[in-house]
Amino acid sequence: MATAARPDASQTSNPVGRGVEPLRAGKGNSFLLRKLHSLSGIVPIGAFLIEHLLSNFEALKGPLAYAEQVKFLNSLPLVRFLEVGLIFIPLAYHALYGVYIAMRGKANVIYYPWSGNWMYMMQRWTGYIAFVYIIQHVVRQRFMGVSLPEHPGAAFHKVQMELSNPWMLAVYVIAMIAVCWHFSYGIWLFAAKWGITPGANARRRFGYLCAVLGVVLAVMGLASIYAFVGPNYKNAPADVMPAQTMLYAPSSPGASLS
Amino acid sequence: MAEKTIQIEIKRQSGPDASSTWEKFEIPWKPGMNVISAMMEIAANPVNASGQETTPIAYDSNCLEEICGSCAMVINGKARMACSALVDKLEQPIRVQPLTKFPVVRDLAVDRSVLFENLKAVQAWVPVDGTYDLGSGPRVFPQQQEVAYPLSNCISCCCCMEVCPQFNDATGFVGAATIAQVKLFNSHPSGKVLKEERLRALAGDGGVQECGFAQNCVQACPKQLPLTEAISDITRDVTLQVAKDFLRA
Repeated sequence: MATAARPDASQTSNPVGRGVEPLRAGKGNSFLLRKLHSLSGIVPIGAFLIEHLLSNFEALKGPLAYAEQVKFLNSLPLVRFLEVGLIFIPLAYHALYGVYIAMRGKANVIYYPWSGNWMYMMQRWTGYIAFVYIIQHVVRQRFMGVSLPEHPGAAFHKVQMELSNPWMLAVYVIAMIAVCWHFSYGIWLFAAKWGITPGANARRRFGYLCAVLGVVLAVMGLASIYAFVGPNYKNAPADVMPAQTMLYAPSSPGASLS
Repeated sequence: MAEKTIQIEIKRQSGPDASSTWEKFEIPWKPGMNVISAMMEIAANPVNASGQETTPIAYDSNCLEEICGSCAMVINGKARMACSALVDKLEQPIRVQPLTKFPVVRDLAVDRSVLFENLKAVQAWVPVDGTYDLGSGPRVFPQQQEVAYPLSNCISCCCCMEVCPQFNDATGFVGAATIAQVKLFNSHPSGKVLKEERLRALAGDGGVQECGFAQNCVQACPKQLPLTEAISDITRDVTLQVAKDFLRA
């Protein structure tokens, strides 16, 4: 046994010679980048996702309530700064670095079909789905067509038109489930990987909690989609508050009291 | 009545750069056989299933009681110890191949020195060299022993690394075994003198951050080490260490 010569280690920078490279102790900054990716998924992206789903839920109350919510969000102080700093930049980082992470992993569920391994693979696939979906969603809903920050009253109609295409509706339903899955399992992963839930029992219990959150968010999201395509608000008007623009906020009675 | 036999297929490779090929064997069954003893039978009579004479299989093994860590192989698609892989409990033909993420030396013998390099990189030892009398060591309370003992059971078999989707050429991930040893030696009353250095080492490229928490390691570990718990604890410690170093810089 072991009569064959060992591979010559001096030929490469890898001290083992070939195979997987050993730890580059204390070198590089991938730790910081990876932790930033992990954190950005919770805050601000996760927080934004919850806000977005809650706002969409207003659609169940009809086009006017939905318009009011869009108008409220666009009236937040420094809203364009918030949009870029707390949504666009973190989301772009999380998405691009996430694809980088996913492409370097080698899923082996075929050989090791264990639940954690399935979730590992699902986290990557739901990430890919979210990546593609969010790009088209932002381009088509934020930057194409009627501009909602200036015309919040057109929000319901714009989404309704989008979802009137059955293919687009299917894309939204799939993406809604994928994103809620990715976020809720992401919370679980965050707790496990940052050392918040080191114990097996703690992880299991927190897993139930995350599963409940994921289901609640997905059901809320799907209910919002139903508000646009269901019978309640068919053929919503193109703009429910045509007179209002964000440039001149209407004065409300009683404002002079303050 | 014909003698009972077992079917075994082995992925063979004559050297590190040779191409690999599957060779079939049919060998007499014996009670209580395991994969290593099956290969001992082949060595005693190196003839393959088609009757051709061949060479004995090269493989690493030593204790034959799942404590030395030498004989990790991929058996019927799963990384495990060959000595505790009982033939009667395996589906036949038994397909045996070397660990897939480690360079093959010959046949089933692989070069696992990456684990040794990783353990050196995190200084997985108690830095007492015995050159002078330090007196009796510090007291270790039973509660600490309860934590340390399971971690000390690691046999360096590399199964946790083989099954990990993140342990590959692209990431150069350090693997669960080394992280568990960092937890072991950081909890040791004398070993913890190197605690900060070990944590800083694990913040390097290929360190704890590469874990994707697929949890295959803890499923595959033949010694049932609490590997995911160790990764969780050590990642927290590494994060705090990095934060402290940043604020004290």
